[in-house]
Amino acid sequence: MADLFSNLSLGFLVAASLQNLLLCLIGVIVGTLVGVLPGVGSVATIAMLLPITFGLPPIGALIMLAGIYYGAQYGGSTTSILVNIPGEATSVVTTLDGHQMAQQGRAGPALAIAAIGSFFAGCVATLLVAALGAPLTSIALLFRPPEYFSLMVVGLIFAVVLAKGSIPKAILMVLVGLLMSQIGQDLETGVGRMTFNIPDLADGIHLSVVAMGLFGFTEIIRNLENNTSRDILKTKIDGLMPKRADLVASAPAIGRGTILGSILGILPGGGAIIASFAAYGLEKKISKHPEDFGRGTIVGVAAPESANNAAAQTSFIPLLTLGIPPNAVMALMVGAMTLHGIVPGPQIITKQPELFWGMIASMWIGNLMLIIINLPMIGIWVRLLRIPYRSLFPCIILFCCIGIYSVNNSTFDVVMAGVFGLVGYWMAKHDFEPAPLVLGWVLGPLMEENLRRAILISHGDYTVFFRQPISAALLAIAAGILIVAVLPTIKRKRETVFVDD
Amino acid sequence: MKTLVSSMLALVLAAGAAQAQDAWPKRTITLVVPYGAGGYTDLIGRMTASYLEKELGKSVVVENRAGGGGIVGTGAVSRSAPDGYTFCVCSVGAISVVPFAQGQKVGYDPVKDLIPVSILSTISQAVVVKKSLPINSMADLVAHAKANPGKLNYGSSGLAGLTHYAVELFQSRTGTKMNHIPYKTGAQGVLAIVSGEVDFAFANMTDALPQIEAGTVRTLAVTSLGRSPYFPDLPSVHESISPGFVVETWNGLMAPAKTPEPIIRRMSEALMKMAEDVEVKKAMIKAGANTVKTTPDQYAKQIQDEIAQWKPLLAEIAGTKQQ
Repeated sequence: MADLFSNLSLGFLVAASLQNLLLCLIGVIVGTLVGVLPGVGSVATIAMLLPITFGLPPIGALIMLAGIYYGAQYGGSTTSILVNIPGEATSVVTTLDGHQMAQQGRAGPALAIAAIGSFFAGCVATLLVAALGAPLTSIALLFRPPEYFSLMVVGLIFAVVLAKGSIPKAILMVLVGLLMSQIGQDLETGVGRMTFNIPDLADGIHLSVVAMGLFGFTEIIRNLENNTSRDILKTKIDGLMPKRADLVASAPAIGRGTILGSILGILPGGGAIIASFAAYGLEKKISKHPEDFGRGTIVGVAAPESANNAAAQTSFIPLLTLGIPPNAVMALMVGAMTLHGIVPGPQIITKQPELFWGMIASMWIGNLMLIIINLPMIGIWVRLLRIPYRSLFPCIILFCCIGIYSVNNSTFDVVMAGVFGLVGYWMAKHDFEPAPLVLGWVLGPLMEENLRRAILISHGDYTVFFRQPISAALLAIAAGILIVAVLPTIKRKRETVFVDD
Repeated sequence: MKTLVSSMLALVLAAGAAQAQDAWPKRTITLVVPYGAGGYTDLIGRMTASYLEKELGKSVVVENRAGGGGIVGTGAVSRSAPDGYTFCVCSVGAISVVPFAQGQKVGYDPVKDLIPVSILSTISQAVVVKKSLPINSMADLVAHAKANPGKLNYGSSGLAGLTHYAVELFQSRTGTKMNHIPYKTGAQGVLAIVSGEVDFAFANMTDALPQIEAGTVRTLAVTSLGRSPYFPDLPSVHESISPGFVVETWNGLMAPAKTPEPIIRRMSEALMKMAEDVEVKKAMIKAGANTVKTTPDQYAKQIQDEIAQWKPLLAEIAGTKQQ
């Protein structure tokens, strides 16, 4: 314990120097902007800023880059709530209830609870990283291919649970997502799958193309179709801050989301995404009013937002101690470290304590800055919704197109996003939800990769998934959730249909 | 008279050419990195860009054209205008290996469509094994593999990458048979040894170094011709078990064929200066890479040697697949 305090105070000493505070501030502001503009991706931004950091001391450079990373996570939820465009895969779930709240004139409380939940989760996760960072690394090593595969199965089951409509349709959407994620080169043979000899499809379709198409463009088409829904948005805005009742309802969800996110974030690869879906699914499962989910309940924003932020923080553990980046942004950070002569690995904590603890302390400071910056901004964001839609939507389309183009510098991707917009419109008309599809899309490649690897390593023995204890437990959980979810939901769905009629 | 006119003409032309050469670069130079942002090649590209910016006094931007294991971006550069404003930060795979794989259509000839300028960095591989295995030398590894054919699992940074083909080449040279487990990145492949998923890997030094330093894996040898500056006590594969076995990953700058020779020369000068830059050297060494000073001719020779090494192996792999 004494160690923890001396380590943390070392960290704060480093992070609170004037230069580092300033770099942290620049980082979170740039990050927020990047997250809010649906166009500009954080990967592109960090890549562009990388050469600028050459002149900085390594710790300062990393503090700034980390600031951009979690700032973008923060900003990404803003667009999810306001315009139904998830900036990152981790904020897909936030669109479900967040945007509903905005349509009901409650964008302010939604944004505020996202900020508060994220801040709380950030604080807890920072402490957790500080106290348990090193021992937690060994947990990540317990997860081998069979365990990862089973974890992905659990994730997909959550995707079904979070659907607000028909369960068979949700399962169908997950399967479509899984199938479409298989587009591209086969991992082991290099053979192109479903590429139709189009070179642009050789590496599959990037998630941002799918997300902006299915969420962003579809939303625009639907809004243009009926003008009335936007009028509601313009006129009725009740309050910018959450009410007491909102806070009371959200508090336990924030707590559970934080715990779930902290645990899942430690697993390299996909942890943060599953965390947001799992937190949402969990809340829906234990809620007394599961029918409110997807119709603008504040709990549906609080839980995933806390979970993804907690996971974003704890994902620094595998990054720093194993050198395994969980996503493209983190991969860039590894690159930045390497350029500054810091090699992430098991020895980083003992070899460079000021760097490790300085970064942890800066995460807490950064989260504090984010909430200070973001709470007053809510008023401005909400006012943004008063802009006539005919002026707003061309801007959204423009930024989306720039953003999609910037991912791979490819016009093909922009066209694909347009196609997905149309597909999404058709899906919306027939009550197919895009969120389970996106989750299937994200988890599909990870699932396939680990399935095949597990089988290869076990020399073709499929029982390996049931023989490994962690994997078997996860599969049991998945089966349990599915049974609990499907049976009563079928019954209750009939009832709700009756009530609605 | 005629000779006077023609010699004057020649003089004017020469002056014009010299002027064109002096004037280069007039505008922004693009370095195409055929891999995603954040990868190792990307970093080398960005380091090179920032150095060239200082050296040439014009802005140099990096453009990521990822896809198909580097084929997409490399192909794009081979087809772009040879005006001295587009270069490719190439990698050994898309130049010396993949284009010669059976049934692979890359859409460019790595020898005819691109001119080598200079190698920017090289990375040797380290042979690392799981610590719980009773394998302490390359001879042990071969003996173990021969006693348990097809049982040893090795990790790689992905299919058809150099960490995969290096072991294929090793199997072919030593008459062993091992089981390939591809990972998405080299670091993941090394970590799989730490967690015990796989038994060994021929891993890039950049990926293996942190685990070697932490003592979580056992290192048997390096794949460079000579010994590594990091581990002078470690033998090379070449000296210990398989003479002539040399595998090195490189990143190097290449230009579209027909890029004017003076521009190639100026660029090569700048890059040779970069190879001696203390700051650049320090950053590379810390990352597990080395800087090398190469002329365009040396670079071209290296590519030819590599093709001669990989081409027969690739044909052999294709042959065994068909059987």
